[in-house]
Amino acid sequence: MPQATELLRRAARVVRQVVGAPDYERYLEHQAAHHPGCAPLTPREYYAEFVTRRFGGAGPTRCC
Amino acid sequence: MLAREMRRLPTTLLWIAVAALGATGFAVLALSRGESISAAWILCAGVASYVVAYRFYARFLAVQVFELDDRRATPAERLNNDRDFVPTNKWVLYGHHFSAIAGAGPLIGPMLASQFGFLPGTLWLIAGVVAGGAVQDFTILVLSMRRDGKSLGQMAKEEINSVAGVAAMVAILAIMIILLAVLALVVVNALRSSPWGLFIIASTIPIALLMGWWMRSVRPGHVLEASAIGMVLLMAALVAGQWVSRDPTWSHWFTWSGTGLSWAMIGYGFLASVLPVWLLLAPRGYLSTFLKIGTVLVLAVAIMLVLPQTRMPAISRFVDGTGPVFAGKVFPFAFITIACGAISGFHALIASGTTPKMVMRESESRLIGYGGMLMESFVGLMAVIAAATLEPGVYFAMNVPAGTLGPTTETAARAIAQWGFVLHPGQMEALARAMGEATLLSRTGGAPSLAVGMASILGGVVHGSGLALWYHFAIMFEALFILTTVDAGTRVGRFMLQELGGYIWKPFGRTSWYPSILISSAVIVAGWGYFLYQGVVDPLGGINSLWPLFGIANQLLAAVALCVGTTILIKMQKQRYAWVTVVPLVWLTAATLTAGWQKVFAADPRLGFLSHARTVVATAPNAARLIFNDRLDAGLALSFMAVVVLVIAASAREWWLVLSKRKAAVVNESAYVESAYATGD
Repeated sequence: MPQATELLRRAARVVRQVVGAPDYERYLEHQAAHHPGCAPLTPREYYAEFVTRRFGGAGPTRCC
Repeated sequence: MLAREMRRLPTTLLWIAVAALGATGFAVLALSRGESISAAWILCAGVASYVVAYRFYARFLAVQVFELDDRRATPAERLNNDRDFVPTNKWVLYGHHFSAIAGAGPLIGPMLASQFGFLPGTLWLIAGVVAGGAVQDFTILVLSMRRDGKSLGQMAKEEINSVAGVAAMVAILAIMIILLAVLALVVVNALRSSPWGLFIIASTIPIALLMGWWMRSVRPGHVLEASAIGMVLLMAALVAGQWVSRDPTWSHWFTWSGTGLSWAMIGYGFLASVLPVWLLLAPRGYLSTFLKIGTVLVLAVAIMLVLPQTRMPAISRFVDGTGPVFAGKVFPFAFITIACGAISGFHALIASGTTPKMVMRESESRLIGYGGMLMESFVGLMAVIAAATLEPGVYFAMNVPAGTLGPTTETAARAIAQWGFVLHPGQMEALARAMGEATLLSRTGGAPSLAVGMASILGGVVHGSGLALWYHFAIMFEALFILTTVDAGTRVGRFMLQELGGYIWKPFGRTSWYPSILISSAVIVAGWGYFLYQGVVDPLGGINSLWPLFGIANQLLAAVALCVGTTILIKMQKQRYAWVTVVPLVWLTAATLTAGWQKVFAADPRLGFLSHARTVVATAPNAARLIFNDRLDAGLALSFMAVVVLVIAASAREWWLVLSKRKAAVVNESAYVESAYATGD
C-alpha cells in the first residue's frame, strides 16, 4: 500500500503542475534548499501569494 | 559504412510508411467528389503531416536555425524562484502550455469556415500549422527563453524600435477587445432561450465561489480537492438542468433574451476584473482547465472509435463568395476565419509569457512550442470533423442568421433548397427535441452546431443515447472556457490600460489603487460590451462582421510576431534561414490585408462595411446607429492594417540596416551560463 500512496502523491504533483496549481510541499523543499535561513510562509500565505501572482499579473494566461 | 546504412533501414522504412499514409489521406480527400468519406482520412492526412513535420522541419529549426544548446542554462534554471521561474518536466509543461493556448478559436473558426466545405479548412489547418503557426510559436518561445522570458511587446521595442513596441502594445489591447466581444457573442448565442444551458453556466458562479472559499479558508491551497468537488457539482448541475428546462416556473426564470444575456456578461466581466482573484477567477480557471483537457482527450478517443462519415461536401459552391454564414470568397476569408487552429498571433503572448520561464532544457522548447501548436491544429481538425458529419441542410439551418433564413423552418427550408441542399419537414424540430432545446434554427456563432456534432460523435460511442445530455455537456465545455477567457482577458486588458494610462498620469498606473481599478475595468468592459451588444441586436447576426474583424486582428498580431522573429534571426546572422519566418509572414500579410481591404471597401454590401452603410435607408429605424457601427468597424479594420504596415516597415528598415552593415548585428540575449542539468544533474 505505501507504494500506491506514493504513486498517487506523485501523480497529484504532476497534475498540479499541468493545471498550474500551487504545490506547498515543493515550495517547502525549495525554501529548504535555497533559503535555509528564512522561515517559510504558512500554507495560507503561500496560497494567497501564489494565486495573486498567477492570476493577478499583467500577462495573459489564456488564449482565444 | 554498409552496416550503418543497414541499421538505419527500419527507421527509413518507417518514415516512408508514415509519409505514404499521409499521402493516401490527402489523395482520398482530394479525389472524393460528392461521395461520403470516413473521417479517418482527415485524421490520416493530418497526423502523418504533423509527425513528419515534427521529425524533420522542427528538428531543422531546432538544430540549424536556433542552434538549441542544452549546455546553456534556461531562465527557469538560472532564476528559479519556485513561482514563475520553475524548471518543469517537458511533458508536464506541454500540457500546461497547451491548456493555455487552446481556447474556443480552433473550435469555432473551422466550424464557420465549413460553409466552404471541409476540404479548404482541412488543408489550411495542416499546411498553416506546419509552415506558419507552429513556427511562430516555436520561434517566439525560443527568443523569449533566450531573453529571460521577455514579452512580445518588450522584444518588439528592444529589437526593432520603440515605435514598433508601442504599436504592438496598442494592437494587443485593441485585438483583445474585439476578441472578448466576439467570444462573448458566441456564448450569448449559445445560451439565448436555452434554460438548460443558462442554468449550468449560472451554476458555475456559486460553484466557483464555494471552491474559492474552500481553497483559501477551509483547506488552503488544496486545488485538486476543491476542483474535484467543483467537478461533481458541475455534473450535478448538468443533469439538474434538464429538470429545470422541463419545469415551467424554473425554465421561465432561466430563459433569457440575447440583450439580457449580454448585460449579464458585461456585469460578470466587470466583477471578475475588480474582485480578488482567489474568489472567482482562480477557481473558474482551474475548473475550466480540467474540463478542457478532459474533453479534448475524450473527443479525440471518441472520433477514433466512431470514425464518422462526412455528410458535408468537400468543396461547396460558396467558395465564390456568396456564402450565407459569412460573406467573402475562399481566399482570403477561409484563412481569416480558421485563424487560431492554423496560426494565432495570440499564442505569441503565451509563448513570451508564462511558458518560456518554465522550460528546463533548451532543446525541449521544440516539443512545447512546435508540438503544442500541432496539438491545437489537431483540435481544429476535430472541429472540422464535427462539422463535416452534420447534414448540410442542418448545418446551414443552424448557422445562417434569421435575417436570411426567415422566421420558420418552412422559410428556412425554402432558402436552403435554393442553395441546393435539403432540409426535410420536421427535421429541425426533431433535432431540437433530441438535443433538449426549444429551437435550433439560426443559432449562429458556431457553438450550437459544434455541440450537435460533438453530441452525435460522443453519443455515437454509446449508440446514440443521452444526446441532450451530451449536447449540453458540449455547450457547457465551450461556454465555460470562453468565460474564463473573458474574465481573464478583461483583467489583462485592465492592467495594460493602467500601464498605458500610467504614462499620462502616474497614479493611474498604480495597479492596486481602487479608483484606477474601477475606471480601467469599466473602460475595458465598455469597449467589448459595446461590440457585443451591437452584435446581439445586429439584424445580420453580428458574427458576419465581428468574426472577420477578430480573424484579421489575430492574424495581424501573428504578422507582428513574425516580424520580431525575422528581425532577431537577421541579427543572429541567420539571414540564410530568414525564410522560415518570412514565407509565412508574406502569405499572412497578403491574405489579411486583402481581407481587411475587402471588408472595408468591397462594393457588395454583405461584405464591405462602407457599402453596407450606404445601403442603410436614412429613414429606417436605428439608421444612425447602423451607419455609425459600419463606419466604426471600417475604421477599426483600417487602423489594424495601418499598425501592421507600420511594424512591417519599421522591421524592414532594421533588416536593411543590418544586412547592408550600416548597423551592427547585436542580439540582446541573456549571457551564457553553463547548465547543471545537461551534465547529468
